[in-house]
Amino acid sequence: MVFSVTKRVAMHSARLTPLKRALLLAVFGLLLLLLSNQVDELRSYQGAQVAIYAIAISSIIVLTGFSGQISLGHGAVMAIGGYASALAFTLWNFPWEFALMFGTIVGTIFGCALGIASARLQGPYLAGTTLALAVGLPSLANQFKVLGGEQGISFDIGDAPAWLRQMVGGEFTQYKWFFWLATPVAIVTFWFITNLLQSNVGRSWRAARNHPVAAGLAGINVARAKILAFTVSSSLASLAGGLFAVMLGLVTPMAFPLSLSFLLVTGAVIAGVGNLAGIILGALVLVSIPELSGTLATYLGNSQKVTANLPGLVASLLLIVVVIFAPNGLRPTALWKAFRQFYK
Amino acid sequence: MIINTLLIGVSSGAIYALMALALVLVWRSTRVVNFAQAGQAVLSTYIGYETMARTHNYWLSVPIAIFFGALLAAIVDVLFMRVLARRAQQGPIAEIAPVITTLGLLGLIHSLIGLIWGNTFVQYTSPLSGKGFTFGTHVIPFSPQNLLIVLTATGVMAIFAAIFTFTDLGLSLRAASFQPEIARLAGIKVDRVRTVGWAFAGATGAVAGVVITPTSYLSPNSLDLLLVTGFVAAVIGGLESLIGAVVGGVVLGIGFAFILQYIGPSVTFLAGFIILMVVQLVKPHGFFGHKTSRHA
Repeated sequence: MVFSVTKRVAMHSARLTPLKRALLLAVFGLLLLLLSNQVDELRSYQGAQVAIYAIAISSIIVLTGFSGQISLGHGAVMAIGGYASALAFTLWNFPWEFALMFGTIVGTIFGCALGIASARLQGPYLAGTTLALAVGLPSLANQFKVLGGEQGISFDIGDAPAWLRQMVGGEFTQYKWFFWLATPVAIVTFWFITNLLQSNVGRSWRAARNHPVAAGLAGINVARAKILAFTVSSSLASLAGGLFAVMLGLVTPMAFPLSLSFLLVTGAVIAGVGNLAGIILGALVLVSIPELSGTLATYLGNSQKVTANLPGLVASLLLIVVVIFAPNGLRPTALWKAFRQFYK
Repeated sequence: MIINTLLIGVSSGAIYALMALALVLVWRSTRVVNFAQAGQAVLSTYIGYETMARTHNYWLSVPIAIFFGALLAAIVDVLFMRVLARRAQQGPIAEIAPVITTLGLLGLIHSLIGLIWGNTFVQYTSPLSGKGFTFGTHVIPFSPQNLLIVLTATGVMAIFAAIFTFTDLGLSLRAASFQPEIARLAGIKVDRVRTVGWAFAGATGAVAGVVITPTSYLSPNSLDLLLVTGFVAAVIGGLESLIGAVVGGVVLGIGFAFILQYIGPSVTFLAGFIILMVVQLVKPHGFFGHKTSRHA
């Protein structure tokens, strides 16, 4: 089963060479960006959100789906990326592009250290450890003055550069700019991961995950494969964290709550953790949960209790239902088959 | 000064030990770290709070909350864990499916509580004073409520020790957790025994909730941090051993009290993470675990 899923994914994307895949993704991205002229501010905001969630979910998929490790603390890794970027931008006056890169590098180094420390941990141990990290890390912001305490650090990269505004034309709002920023990054990320997972690096991860002993006999250093997967995953998460901070305009401990880590896991499970193509679906679902539950809340009479708790309720219900009924991800066919089997 | 810190440590350590005990009981019976335990405990505490609001009797609300905690845990096991054990045996997330399900349950319980009682902090008070005992002019940071916490925790541990050592139920619980196949052949209804294990854990979590909450406040998330400290305590003890969980809890409580006293409040939970990391690297089976029991 495990083999067949990964094999199907591999076969599906192996038909394309990296170059063709890049062209395809570029066309897709261009279409999306052209679409951005047709939609209002809210949709651009949500579009940027989808792109950022897609990067963050792919970090979980690399880790869980292709290397068999679990993290309940990727919100904390995002926080590291966000804080490092904001520090570099606001305190050390990096240009924002380099600030984002700096944040990603810091997150990568941190992820490598964490990966080395946790390569020996399995399943629930790793889950609990990363959970403890997600709980413990945000409190650091109050311990060191430079991190700005509860107020956080501002991270305002300003308007779109002039050349972009000239090239695109039309009214260039703030969120449309973020959409233009996040979407290409997400697409490059996507291209990078699909290629990586096709390469022998990805194959060694899957081998180490599916059968560690056999992989070891075949000459794969299992511990190193796991650490590398954790490192790549962390660098993706911290990149997403930096973009997230750009979109918020600041970083605070409250911006990276425990529920963010849980939301990423939800997104990855909906996407199907062994399934790269599901990432967009997962991100779309995550972004549409607040909107859907908003509509539902109006229907239920919009009291403060309902509006505050309905999104969480919908997300957790979805998570449980998908894990039990469609463990390979929320694809309509898979869901239908599972229900039929269950009530047979 | 050191004695004061120790007293604070023992009182919070007793609570960590209860939470660790709840996690260990579930781990032993089903091989799942139950992250929903924080949610189950806080929901049971809300039931206690509701009873208190209606009857104005703390001593009545405690047993009701504990009973509800046991019932809720049994329901979780029957409705979710059994279904999961039957269905999600394969596929890319088979190994992590239980962890993720308990995570979803945690979120579900939080939102349900928010829907029913709202997300604001509420007070769930006990008739015992929260002010420290006074000796002459000297006030120690140990109140009658703290005494209740320590006594209850000791009581719960004594009850479990008795059940596990002296009763048939205890024997079948141990058998079902160590050799489920052989236990089944010996005529033990393993599924039913597991549910009993869950119910014990749920009750223990509820006890922790109802005795600790009067010292602070109650909100849907108020016991989440306790889940993490309880997990750290359980891992120190090896995640298998009931005695280990208790010792781990008390040691962690005292350690945290000293960190709080001499370093500062905001690093406490990061210290928890570091302790967890160090224990796992130095002693992967904890200080009370069996060497062979790690894989399972």
